[in-house]
Parts: sequence; structure tokens; C-alpha cells
Amino acid sequence: MKKLSFLLSLFLLGGSFTANAGATGDVEALRAEIAAMKAAHEERIMMLEAKLEEVIVAKAAVTTQAAASDNEVALTYAPKRPATNARRVKKNMFNPSIGLVFNGVYTQHETAEGEIAGFAVGHEGERGGEGFAIDHTELNFSSTIDDKFFGSMTAAIVKHEGKTEVELEEAFIQTLPGLGLPTGATLKAGRFLATIGYLNEHHEHTDDFTDRPLPYRVFLDGTYNDDGIQASYVLPTDFYAEIGGGMFRGDDYPFGGSDGEGIDAWSAFARVGGDIGEKQSWRLGGSVLSGKSTTGRESNHEKVSFLGETDLYIADARYTWAPTGNSTNQEFALQGEFFWKTEDGLYSDTETSASNVLMDDSSQGWYLQGTYKFARNWRFGARYSELDAANVPTGLIGSHLDGEGYDPKAYSAMFDWTNSEFSRVRFQYNREELAKGQNDDQFMLQYIMSIGAHAAHKY
Amino acid sequence: MRKFLSKTLLAMSAAFLCCASFSATAALQVFACEPEWASLASEIGGDKVKTFSATHARQDPHYIKARPSLMSKVRKADLIVCSGADLEIGWLPLLLERAGAGVQRGMVGNLMAYEYVPLIEIPTSIDRSLGDIHPDGNPHIHLNPRNLILVGKELANRLASIDEVNAVFYETRYGQFEAKMNQAIEGWLSDGKELKGMQVITKHKSLSYLIDFFGLEEVSSLEPRPGLPPTSSHLARVLESVSSMNARAIVRAPYESDRGVDWIVSKANIKNLVVPYTVNGDDESGDLFSLFDRSLAILKSAL
Repeated sequence: MKKLSFLLSLFLLGGSFTANAGATGDVEALRAEIAAMKAAHEERIMMLEAKLEEVIVAKAAVTTQAAASDNEVALTYAPKRPATNARRVKKNMFNPSIGLVFNGVYTQHETAEGEIAGFAVGHEGERGGEGFAIDHTELNFSSTIDDKFFGSMTAAIVKHEGKTEVELEEAFIQTLPGLGLPTGATLKAGRFLATIGYLNEHHEHTDDFTDRPLPYRVFLDGTYNDDGIQASYVLPTDFYAEIGGGMFRGDDYPFGGSDGEGIDAWSAFARVGGDIGEKQSWRLGGSVLSGKSTTGRESNHEKVSFLGETDLYIADARYTWAPTGNSTNQEFALQGEFFWKTEDGLYSDTETSASNVLMDDSSQGWYLQGTYKFARNWRFGARYSELDAANVPTGLIGSHLDGEGYDPKAYSAMFDWTNSEFSRVRFQYNREELAKGQNDDQFMLQYIMSIGAHAAHKY
Repeated sequence: MRKFLSKTLLAMSAAFLCCASFSATAALQVFACEPEWASLASEIGGDKVKTFSATHARQDPHYIKARPSLMSKVRKADLIVCSGADLEIGWLPLLLERAGAGVQRGMVGNLMAYEYVPLIEIPTSIDRSLGDIHPDGNPHIHLNPRNLILVGKELANRLASIDEVNAVFYETRYGQFEAKMNQAIEGWLSDGKELKGMQVITKHKSLSYLIDFFGLEEVSSLEPRPGLPPTSSHLARVLESVSSMNARAIVRAPYESDRGVDWIVSKANIKNLVVPYTVNGDDESGDLFSLFDRSLAILKSAL
């Protein structure tokens, strides 16, 4: 600053010297003139200095102001820092969760036969075997894959016609909210328990009864878990509402024999739910599963085959009640589903040598069950299921599909003890009247226990 | 073309500004897993937040269901506040599957309170035969009021990060809360001096932090192992300990069943106390301050 003003005054002085170089003569006059000039110059220098100072101060003011506003910005717009975990990670969170479900059952039947009159029944839908059996030992691996995907695999080790086999129940990847899909939207791909009805997306070990109700046995062969993709979206409503749908290979019952060309099956569902006060909760749903069997679906021990189109409509409802909404010691749950199926295609039955008989008709079925938890570890429940078979065309009279107008029905009662969320022992009695004159009293004693990671159960 | 572009840009920025101002005025949605965190969020967020609690005082936070109604609530949340330490493991993971990206684990909108407080009862060995074990330690952290200050500070940080415009508001409210709570703590400790060393029997490990805060001594628990219901042989042992020790009361939370309690109370000279456990645990515990006022009064009734 000082340097600048010094240079400036030199320049100004220099200028005045050149301007007055020619002036000689009266020294006194010159002196006076110089003095006057000096005074004038000094005044000008002072003015300039003052001006400079002003500029400098103003500039400094601007900088401080800028700095101040910078600070303000930093204060108001704190960067969205990630929430740092203050705690050390002790669990194996980077390894997959591994869980194993033991499922053992002892069964006793009254009648030799367990056929369901008038229905094409797949392997899983048939009456289970007698005696001791380790029904479905489930092995599950699951983990988040990265910030955007989750993966899960469930294999069931089962005994099938004397041989121990591994069935791939589920192997799917699912999007996580980190992918950036709209909030509430999820995509699933692979093989999985499709979201239709109520029970279908639940693993069997979470069921309230040892066996699945009749409609699940005849319409879905226990459960529908096909290869495909599925999208779902939770609506931004105040009550719960979710919609979704999927596309599938069409290889699992009620379809089958897909050659992989194109998409042979699709599904759609819609659900709503909510609370009534603090004690009651409910959920209602409707779903469709539609597809075709292109090269033939086998059933009834490979005796019956079907080529054609199947549409299945399901309505499901669930209601729960617990005192003050606290289900620890007491809870009542009521659940029911209704199925309506239409089939349009060609049926063959090797036993009656019916071959490619055209059938275009509908069948239906429903079940209703209630369970009551009366103490912390104890529950009992009852269930009723009923089926209504299709009318068969003349060509299929006497075949497996001919129910002779009989409506199969089953009554069940169960009683179970749950020691912890990892162990349960259940006794169940069934009376199945599935064909004319075939009244079967069944007793089952079952344990379901799990070790390792155990995923939270759905509502 | 250019005119069209600039017009579109103008319209877009207008729309953006409109939305921005809308989101700025709309209250922040806070989904609390338990009532104490909803109450804390209201203390700090004031009218700038809208709180919802997934559970209430008469529900055991371990065991509620991932009900459909909760799914729609968590989907809309800007911030979720839960105790963590596996307390909500049976239902929160299912809810989070359908929630927004901002409230997922590790994000600003996901506050697990246990990560910000010193935990007690951290198990030295973990085995399912030991009952309902929480590997990180006891998750019922809110019953030490000092923890509310620690969690409150982080809650204010999170609110300020999510809702930058009101950062100063949250900071100020937290400051007020901290001062008020510190003063209240002094009061509770001096009023509760006589409680120091008083022997109590608990139902479950849900009151450990309260016991720790007032310096009570837990001599026995009605649950033989955490989460497992009392057996008659265990109750007999508890009764023995009542007579051999100087236990004054059986203390439990409102959601815990009285199974076994009446039997012991009928056989021994011991008080049966239900402390509010959380906000609205009884008619006089409407906020976090009255929760401790009330707990102190109830505990002192056993002296």
C-alpha cells in the first residue's frame, strides 16, 4: 500500500517538474510557486491516498462479507453426511444369514386311499405318506448383495418316491430401496413364492396347520413357485394398499411342460389393509394367475395330462385381534380364501384311455380357519375346506376328473405348543371326506424347529 | 426453439420451486418404533415434525406384527427412530423392505438409538439356550434419562440434516431440552437418594436402565431366562430369595403379564409395582419428564 502511494507521488512530482522546467528567473517566485505546487500535490496525494484507502476498505468489507455468507451457507446447508455407526460391528453382517428349519412329522391314516374326487392333483397336493417322515427340511441363505440388491435361496430336502431329493423352492434377487426405484416399488426375479392369495407367499413351516388346505392342494399343488419376475408397489395412501404382478415361465402347477418359448403365465394382485382401533387388524386381497400348458401338464401320478389354458382367481382375507394389540399372551386370527378356476383345453387319462377330450368348465374351492392363542405358548385352531369339481364331458366319464357330483371336504383341528420363536410342536386331527365313501381320520404329530438366522414372519 | 426452451425451463423451475416450498412447509414425518422416541422427536422437532409411534405402552416392542397399517406409515417416513439392538428384529426389517431409500440402514433417515448410548448387560456368550439374548446389550435404553440427552443430540443432528432450513430451530429446541433434562435429572437423583440399594425383583430385563439410574439392586427375575415364561420351580426359587434377601417389590412394565406375580405377592411381604415403562404407560406419564416423575414416585412407594 505504502509502495503504491510512494510511486504515485513520484510520478506526480515528475510530471510537475517537466511542466515547469522552462521557468527560471525570480527564485523567490519560483520558490513560492514550488511551495504552492508542493502543497497542491500533497493535497492531491492525500486525496488519492484517502481514495485508495477507501477502495481497500471496501474491498476488504466485500471479502469479509463473502466469507461470512460462506459460513452461513456451511451452517445452514450441512452436507448430508452418512450416519456413522458409533458401535463396532460384532455380527457377521457381511456374510449371508444361514438358517435351517427342521420339520418332522408322524402321520396315521384311516383309509388306504386318499384320492380327491374330480380333480387333477399334482405330486405335492396328494395326501402325505404315513409313519415317520422328515417332511421338508429347509435350508436358507440370504443376504443383501450390495446397496441395491438382496438375494435369497431356499432349498428343501425332501423324500420323493423313496429317494432323497433337493428341491429348489426359491432362488431370487430382489431390489432394495437403494436402487432408486420409486419409494414402495420392488422388483423380484428368479424363482420365488409368487404373491397370490394369502398362504402362497408364506413358507410352509410358518403355516398354522400341518398340511395345506384343500384348495391349495388341488389348484396350486401346495404352492406356486415358478421362474419369472414380479413387480409390486405400495401405494402412497394413508391405509395400506399394494398392487403388483408377475410374468412366469409357466412350468409350475397349475401350468407345466413349458418349452420356454415366450411367457406362458402371468399374475396380478391387489391388497388393502389397516387397523380397526388398537386391537384389530385386517387385510383383503384379490389375485389372478393365468397361463397355459403348452406341451402338457402331468398329474395324478402321470396318468392325467392337460394341454390348454388355465385361469385362477383368488380372494383372500385375514383378520387378527389381540388385547391392546399385544399378541404376546393372547391372539385370535381368522383367515379364509376363495378360489375359482376355469380350464379350457384337452384332457387325457391313460387309465380310462380318454385321449385329448375337450373340456371347458370351472371348479371352485374355499377354506376358512381360525386360530386362538390362549396363553403365551399355547394355541388351538380349526379349519374347514371344501371343493366343487367341474362337470366332465362324456369323454371323461369314469376318469380321474369325474367327481360324480361329489364335493370333497375336510375338517381339521390343531393344538400346538410354541416354546420360543424357534420351536413348535403340533398335534393335528383331520377328517377328510375327499371321495364318496372315503372317510379318512388322520392324526399328525409334528415338530418345526429352526436354527441359525430366521427371517421375520409376514403378517 | 430457443424461446420454447427458455419457457420450458422457466416452467420447470417454477414447478421445482413450488414443490420445494411445498416440501419445506410440510411437516417432517417421523416414524418411531416406540412411544419414547416419538415423544423425544416432538420435544426436539416441535411443530416442524409429525410423529407416529408403531407401538404403545401396552404392547411388547419385541413381539408386534408387521401389520399392513405400519407398512403404509413407514413408507411415508422421512426419519425412523428406533431403539435398535435387535429389539424390533421381528418386524422392522419387513417394514423397511417397502420404505424409502432415505430411511434404510446406514442412511441419515435411519436412527438406531442404541448406537449412541453406553449399553449395559452385554452378553459375554451368545447361545439360544440362554433365552432371548441381545448380542449388542440390553435394548431398553430410554429408561436412563441421560441416554435421552445423548439420543436427543443425534436426533437434532439428523433432523437438521434432513430439514436444513430449520436447522437452527432444531438446535435451539435440543439446547432447551438438554438444559431442562439435565435439571430434571438432578432433581430425580436427589429425590431418589433413598432408593439407592433398594432390592427389587423384575419380570423381564426391560427395566435394567431405570434400576441402574436410581442405583436399585435387582436380586432376581421372574423369567428364568430372558423371554422365557416363569416355571413353577423357578418361581419357588424366586420366593426363597425373597425371604432370604430384603426385596421390597416386584417391578414390571405395563405390557408384561402378571403371571406368577400374584402368587409371590400372596406368599411374601412384597409390593407389586407397575412402572409406566414408556410415555403414556399410565394416565400420568404424558411425556418423558412425567415418565420419570411417575416412575420415581412409584418406586418410592415401596420404601
